[in-house]
Amino acid sequence: MSSDYAHLDVGDDAEFRALLRTFLTEHGPGKRPKDPAGRLDWQRRWQAVLFDGRWAGPSWPRDCGGMDLPFTRQVIYSEELARARVPNPPGTGVGIAGPTIIKYGTDEQRARWLPALLRADQVWAQGYSEPEAGSDLPSLRTTARRDGDDYVVTGQKVWSTQAQIADVLFALVRTGTQESRQNGITYLVLDLHAPGVTVRPLRDLTGGAAFGEVFLDEVRVPVTNRIGAENEGWRLARTSLGHERAAGAMIQASFYQRVFGELVALARERGTAADPVWSRRLADLGIRVKIMALNAASTIAAIEATGEPGPASSVSRLYNSTLEQELHEIAVDMLGPYGLLDGGPDAVQRGRWVGGFLRTRASTIGAGTAEIQRNTIAEQVLGLPRDPAMPPR
Amino acid sequence: MPLIATPEQEELRRSLRRFLQQVSGREQVRALLTDDAGYDPAVWHRMATELGLQGLALPEQFGGSGATFAELGVVFEEFGRALVCAPFLSSVVLTGHVLLAVDDPPAQARWLPGIADGTLLATLAVPAGAGHDRAAPLPQATASAGDWRLDGTVMFVPDAQIAQLLLIAARTPAGTSVFAVRAGATGLDRTALPNIDLTRRVSRVDLHATPAELIGPQGGADAALQRALQLATVALAAEQVGGAQACLDMAVGYACTREQFGRPIGSFQAIKHQCADLQVQVVSARSAATWACGIASGEQDPAQLPLAAALAGAYCADAFVTAAKANVQIHGGIGFTWEHDAHLYLKRAKSGQLLLGTPDQHRDTAARLMGIAHEQ
Repeated sequence: MSSDYAHLDVGDDAEFRALLRTFLTEHGPGKRPKDPAGRLDWQRRWQAVLFDGRWAGPSWPRDCGGMDLPFTRQVIYSEELARARVPNPPGTGVGIAGPTIIKYGTDEQRARWLPALLRADQVWAQGYSEPEAGSDLPSLRTTARRDGDDYVVTGQKVWSTQAQIADVLFALVRTGTQESRQNGITYLVLDLHAPGVTVRPLRDLTGGAAFGEVFLDEVRVPVTNRIGAENEGWRLARTSLGHERAAGAMIQASFYQRVFGELVALARERGTAADPVWSRRLADLGIRVKIMALNAASTIAAIEATGEPGPASSVSRLYNSTLEQELHEIAVDMLGPYGLLDGGPDAVQRGRWVGGFLRTRASTIGAGTAEIQRNTIAEQVLGLPRDPAMPPR
Repeated sequence: MPLIATPEQEELRRSLRRFLQQVSGREQVRALLTDDAGYDPAVWHRMATELGLQGLALPEQFGGSGATFAELGVVFEEFGRALVCAPFLSSVVLTGHVLLAVDDPPAQARWLPGIADGTLLATLAVPAGAGHDRAAPLPQATASAGDWRLDGTVMFVPDAQIAQLLLIAARTPAGTSVFAVRAGATGLDRTALPNIDLTRRVSRVDLHATPAELIGPQGGADAALQRALQLATVALAAEQVGGAQACLDMAVGYACTREQFGRPIGSFQAIKHQCADLQVQVVSARSAATWACGIASGEQDPAQLPLAAALAGAYCADAFVTAAKANVQIHGGIGFTWEHDAHLYLKRAKSGQLLLGTPDQHRDTAARLMGIAHEQ
């Protein structure tokens, strides 16, 4: 690992961009393998290349292996990675657990976990949802009982992204009474290879298994694996973790600009674009895809000007998740019955559009359903009154 | 890309909002609904003399203050919020920018200073949706002994009843040209149309051998007209953002106070979710309009103006109509009364959506500009 940060500290943003672009061109990860195992290996190798070149973790501190870039350069970083079409880090740890540990972890925890997480030597999965605790997450029932220097954890987690390939689970567990709800929840990091852990792939409606179920039976977790204080986990999990996601919003927007361009190319190739009804429908979609980028850019501009992300950031997820569903459904509808084929020689582009149609059902369910997001916008942004039938937050 | 307001623009917004609270409050707007002129000349005069609004985005050489379209966007957003009744879009944006876009320095010198200081009310007669697929035929211009005469009809001309000067797009043997017609000209008939939106007046203009003066060269005026329409679409989009925000604010305010079943109706998810969806659309509409105003200011990427206008025109018009309809719905019975202002916003939303090119026309334009549909 090079300890040289000179490339990050060049005086000029344009020079920084050029250096990054050169690195990405010279070390690019190559073609995306088709099989899942090859793809994971490809993601991990690429993440290690970035890390070893000091090009990983744009917002992370340097003593954790990150780059600690000012926000403007985080945006440039996102733009260039989107442009180069390189893979994301595997798992959900880099985006969610990492920033939480940076903010609330001890020095020992940061040193123990963060470089390995950022380099993808370890893949982390999230253990929040349970079969009986979805939108009502504070009702979760996976318990952690204190026994000496360990917690003993028993319960079941579900919808853990990539759990079957992950090494570590960052989980919310119950340390207080069931009635204490969010005031009795603790944030634990546990080893998925430990005795008592069973991970089963969860076959979803796409036919694939992007998520796993995690069964925990008397799993011993050292107390030193607890982030923050006991019963403080809910607050940690809900804290805003800085603006890295805002900088990354451009990645999703540029991704969908590209996907939209590919859909237009397909519509032209098949002659659908010549139909005025379809060209109008596609234009409407193109307008909304462009606005996705404008919302992201507004958020970035607000952060740069005021330090606060502004109103566009609070609506982006609802806007984007709905739009990505519509985009894929429009594509499937445009293909007619060919849109139904998800394989075989007659499938259009190997069934990517119908695959997206199915996959994006999860966009308005995972990480807070669209309904919960609407409640949040209504109550926390617009100031509408809480439902008196709901338990206090 | 200037996607958020500068401190100076925020200051403009604050002072304009204070001003409009005084001069375009509920009572004043209500009074103008039944007023023949449909605007208050004294307020118009104060806008020009105290705030310099009419000249804001016009060049200094013609008496303007040379600010940009981004500032004008702030003005229009506040106009939309306060339901301002004034011939601003017609006189300042449409006519002012056609004059700037045609190559006729004497005409510019003669009329732009009056437009910029508010002493001249002008309008542009160009068929609704001009530049789109369903353009109505333009009036015919014929020359006899060096004088031009116009014949034909133009529908939906904004503020034509009060305009002292009408610029009219007409056909000549050399192509589309712009002509000036004085309010008192012979053979000019202006008929106010019973448009549901009483805050925005439109007329039918009939021309019977009406004497007219050619502005700019004969033929080749399509680009200037298109540009003026695009800029007006961008200004209108900003106005629609302000209107949509006002509707959302009204709906949220009412939902917090109106109680049914022993609790505020805003505590029910059925209301919350509608309001949250409106917030998504209003915020996104503001991103679109702010971007389009930045493009219209010419400071970056001016070649994107046609796409920016089509994008903001389609999205913001629909967002305002959605917000205005939801506002009526959330108010329930009271929202259906004449006394409540909800219907004024609904009508203004609907007229803005249809008068200057419909969202579908804007989407068809976007389809061509995005390379989806071929140029026809």
